[in-house]
Amino acid sequence: MNINKTRFWPTIYLIVVFILLYAPIFYLIFYSFNAGKYMHDFAGFSLRHYRQLFNDARMMEIVFNTFIVALLSSLIATIIGTLGAIGIYGTKNRVMRNVILSLNNVLMVSPDVIIGASFLIFFTMLGIGLGFGSVLMSHIAFSIPIVVLMVLPKLNEMNYSLLDAAQDLGANSWQVLTRVVLPYITSGIFAGFFMAFTYSLDDFAVTFFVTGNGFSTLSVEIYSRARQGVSLEINALSTLMFLISLILVVGYFMIDSYNSGRKAKKGKLSA
Amino acid sequence: MKQPIIEFKNVVKSYGETQVLKGVDLEIEAGKFYTLLGPSGSGKTTILRLVAGFSSATSGDILFEGKRINDVPANKRRVNTVFQNYALFPNMNVFENVAFGMNLKGTSKAKIKTKVTQLLAMVRLAGYENRNIDELSGGQQQRVAIARALANDPEILLLDEPLSALDYKLRKEMQYELRELQKNLGITFIFVTHDQEEALAMSDWIFVMNEGKILQNGTPVDIYDEPINRFVAEFIGESNIVNGVMLEDYLVSFAGSTFENVDAGMRPNEQVDVVLRPEDLDLTTPENGKLVVTIDAQLFRGDYYEISAHDDNGNEWRIQATNSAQINTRQGLTFDPEDIHIMRFNESEDDFDARLDNYEEVGEMDE
Repeated sequence: MNINKTRFWPTIYLIVVFILLYAPIFYLIFYSFNAGKYMHDFAGFSLRHYRQLFNDARMMEIVFNTFIVALLSSLIATIIGTLGAIGIYGTKNRVMRNVILSLNNVLMVSPDVIIGASFLIFFTMLGIGLGFGSVLMSHIAFSIPIVVLMVLPKLNEMNYSLLDAAQDLGANSWQVLTRVVLPYITSGIFAGFFMAFTYSLDDFAVTFFVTGNGFSTLSVEIYSRARQGVSLEINALSTLMFLISLILVVGYFMIDSYNSGRKAKKGKLSA
Repeated sequence: MKQPIIEFKNVVKSYGETQVLKGVDLEIEAGKFYTLLGPSGSGKTTILRLVAGFSSATSGDILFEGKRINDVPANKRRVNTVFQNYALFPNMNVFENVAFGMNLKGTSKAKIKTKVTQLLAMVRLAGYENRNIDELSGGQQQRVAIARALANDPEILLLDEPLSALDYKLRKEMQYELRELQKNLGITFIFVTHDQEEALAMSDWIFVMNEGKILQNGTPVDIYDEPINRFVAEFIGESNIVNGVMLEDYLVSFAGSTFENVDAGMRPNEQVDVVLRPEDLDLTTPENGKLVVTIDAQLFRGDYYEISAHDDNGNEWRIQATNSAQINTRQGLTFDPEDIHIMRFNESEDDFDARLDNYEEVGEMDE
């Protein structure tokens, strides 16, 4: 009785917050099935906006581009960022390490607009044409600090004597890296990769500055179309994107709980 | 003398301004169980890391079978280590951990399998091949770590406080097992510990260290019976240390009386420290005692009573007795002349050995 009472208000609060957060998204999804042309006056259920979306060759190309950029940039950033994190971990000089780490963190907190603008100046100065290349490079650049931040804690968590032990048993530096360090930090590398992937997917500000020659990504394209009034095609696209991310989250959750469940079971067996 | 397997020649190790090893000389012979004993920060683990090759000496030479190995990296040394926290690879199971070194060397699968099975049987973990590391208890992880280190057939096995994380009973058990293992394998063990009991029980030879220096080395019995100075006497076992004066050879005065003893070779009337081990002291009636003490307190330790008392000159005495004593009573304290051990102030180990040799020879000739 008492417990129910104390749980009542927190539950209400939680529900209200979630409604506030999700209402706009569901509103948008709801009207993606509208037979009419606008986001008011629901005229009946229809998939015409979805059909329109899949027939929109330019839009499909942009979706493809966006995923290619996200995939490539996060892959390359993961490799560079992981090596960078290992480098920072191996830096014995405390001052030096803090300086590098701070330079890394500054990139994380500085506004996207400034990063985007500086990339634009940088690329034009070097005479690099704006387009796929410039977008990819800038995405790699802003993803590296994210990967470093995800990988470094795993490295710090690792017991240093593991490295001594591997060396003691005859491993050279390469073998220490591939057989001991990388397996240990795998989860951090994956987390960094997914973070970089999502950052790249939904980046608007940086891409807006460095894109050109007809090359565009989803967020920039949606923004430019929205200025002329959002077509319900965008709603359809957003609905699909929302579903994809939902599946990703659920999938991640299931893998995670499967792993931890297996571990817990094993722990019980040994005890 | 045989060629030592490991030799340190005036080895110094500094981190920035601080010297953690201050010119260490030591020689280690093949096939024995050595212990580096000292409090934390005494430099014993540093010596181990220098032998293993995890860090390099600031100056001085480290020799392996007579050849300088200062610049040989750890993965090329025929030395393996059992780490304090075991340092087992969490992403591998027991088999893969033990096979790690052999896999790197490219040993054949069949050979690896036989060897791992044999090693696990030796550390009494047969059948644990497919267990994960986090499924093992501390004692079992310890054994895996030992098997993994032995898999590379090292000439020397280094053990860095391997028993400190185990509970008392398991620790005692492992002491026997390690000693047994060393005897069966016949390879050199260098064992680091801060536990004097462990050191005395297991070692052929002990190096007592403090503040980056080796204070004394010798067999456990030598070090226990003839500590060179106050630090060693207090670190190795319980001891009563009182101020005394060496009146002449074989005659010492302390606690207000004069006693016959067995030490010699000092200046007449030299100020010295006098050591008496608690287990060498016996309680008796005040008339029969060489000293008279008042009992202050006693603790029951299971196999003996630990009694603390003070004499009329205010010296504290600690006594181990099989029978309990009455608190606040006056009792006599007896001991034999050979129980009295004299320590000179600031005597180096070499001088100490020389003096001992000298008067022991004279004593033998007298007889």
